[in-house]
Amino acid sequence: MTTRTKAHAEPILSAQGIVNRFGKQVVHDKLNLEILHGEIIGIAGGSGSGKSVLLKTLVGLHEPDAGEVLLNGKAVQSIVAAERAALIGVLFQQGALFSSLTVAQNIMLPMREHTSLTGKEQEQIAAMKLALAGLPADTGIKFPSALSGGMVKRAAFARALALDPKILFLDEPTSDLDPIAASGIDALIRQLNHSLGITVVIVTHDLTTLFTVCDRIAVLVDRKTTVGTADKLMKSKHPWIHEFFHGPRAEGAMKARKPSHGN
Amino acid sequence: MTSVPANQQQASADPSSPTIIVSGDGDRLALTGTLEIVTLAEAKNSLKKWSKQGPSRMLDIAGLDSLDTPGALFLCGLRDKGVELTGIRAEHRALLDLICELDLKPLPKVESVPRWRQIVIQLGKGAHDARHETLDLITFVGRAASWTVNALIHPSCLRPASIARHVTETGIHALPIIGLMAFMIAIVIGYQGVAQLRPYGGEDFTINLVAVSVLREMGVLITAIMVAGRSGAAFTAEIGVMQTREEVDALKVMGIEPMQVLVVPRIVALVITLPLLTFFADIMGLIGGAAIAQFQLDVSPTQYLTRLPHVVDGSDLFVGLFKAPVFAFFIAIVGCMHGLRVSGSAESVGRETTRAVVKSIFLVIALDAFFSILFEKLGV
Repeated sequence: MTTRTKAHAEPILSAQGIVNRFGKQVVHDKLNLEILHGEIIGIAGGSGSGKSVLLKTLVGLHEPDAGEVLLNGKAVQSIVAAERAALIGVLFQQGALFSSLTVAQNIMLPMREHTSLTGKEQEQIAAMKLALAGLPADTGIKFPSALSGGMVKRAAFARALALDPKILFLDEPTSDLDPIAASGIDALIRQLNHSLGITVVIVTHDLTTLFTVCDRIAVLVDRKTTVGTADKLMKSKHPWIHEFFHGPRAEGAMKARKPSHGN
Repeated sequence: MTSVPANQQQASADPSSPTIIVSGDGDRLALTGTLEIVTLAEAKNSLKKWSKQGPSRMLDIAGLDSLDTPGALFLCGLRDKGVELTGIRAEHRALLDLICELDLKPLPKVESVPRWRQIVIQLGKGAHDARHETLDLITFVGRAASWTVNALIHPSCLRPASIARHVTETGIHALPIIGLMAFMIAIVIGYQGVAQLRPYGGEDFTINLVAVSVLREMGVLITAIMVAGRSGAAFTAEIGVMQTREEVDALKVMGIEPMQVLVVPRIVALVITLPLLTFFADIMGLIGGAAIAQFQLDVSPTQYLTRLPHVVDGSDLFVGLFKAPVFAFFIAIVGCMHGLRVSGSAESVGRETTRAVVKSIFLVIALDAFFSILFEKLGV
């Protein structure tokens, strides 16, 4: 395949001095995070460490109490809706497929809203996105309620890719999935990143995803992020990070990593 | 843009927006610029005729700065028609390979049913559903009644805390809105009465009209409809949300009957509150009548009060109040029944809530009509 250069030096998205607080509880305290072009970065952290709030802040759904998020050098809050839709794709945890629309209509919705393509062309593109997400064409005419958990995630993937975003945010893409479906999603993330060059941000607890898919990992501890490769973070002295990467579950997930090490 | 592309065509006048430029002539063309979803329509238009001119033509895409999946899909389509793509950049090759190798099938078409058949199907479904709904309602009324009686016989099964909470929510919190509505309904009836009766010199009878209609019908009807919309819907939504979170199943697993802990307290609470609310609505309605008497008929509140016992008696009040617990029972039953019928998804909560409100208001009015005839025959 290609020798596409992984991760240009300049960041596609950078968060600077993010402060989020709810009442007296401070979730993020002057948090900094840089996401590079074309990389897959995992955001990990304990329950209640503010992963979801960080994700919402990064995509511009939540306005931080202080600090700013720059996407391609522009403040994410100030980017106009159509442009932002073409830059950012989000896969929500429960899929967030519109239940009153079929899967194909879900995928075509952003196209109908933001492009001037004809209905037939939109259908062709929707069929292509379905195939890209690994779903058979007849899924397109089904309603989300008729899909299994893994298929919902894939359909939501197809919708997140509708406008070919430059950066894709995945909120717990493998949660609630059986191991086979979860591995399928992991492979899909890698493939999309490789072939489409999409930057991927994954918020997850799933150690296997973190070890086998992500180029870098940002761990949310003490209201800040500690960023590094898995190898580097494994040597961290911080007690929580050490526990996270050396617990019994981490040891198991590490084994999954070994075969893919040479790639 | 009707002919085969000339030497240069600009997709858009705006210099900041992405553009696609087609250059060259004859069998060899070149694409430069951006081939993405925003410029796709433009590129398709420009190349439409050219691509149909048969095989052995070449398209140079070395000048493409960016390419996305719809663009790649378009190029793959050209390739399938026999166009040779040349000068593919390394970073585009992976994308093209991926998209061209996808096993693409068009979305299947949904079979459409002719309109006349749709109507027949709808009718049949409607009749079938109506039968089942009626059977369900009758069964549920029976079960709820037996559990309620059981709880009344064994008071230890009653849950005073739960009943008190529902009395507060369905009763005390509803006082302001029900009082206001009863007051205004009385004024509406009063105005109409004065306007219609004045030509005959009988406008004084407006007091009778307002007092009798409020006590016998309007007080209880307005209260019941308000409670059905307010509390009946709340019952469905509360139980429905519990159903979607599997809380109802958790109760069953623990050996606790949902009918006893969820349904009976709501029925008992509503049967207690609706008569009280009705009485409150009656009072507010009569105050509305007093306002009409004062401002439209120049009858002072003291005179109004002395006239009231002559125009209405206990039976009018009794007829209104007697209906309240019956309405309450059915509103609570319909609310709870639809709550328990919620299945899994969140949208079914909304659907069942709508059904519960429509059905309980319908039942209230149907029962009211039945009572009117009954009391007429009994001569009350």
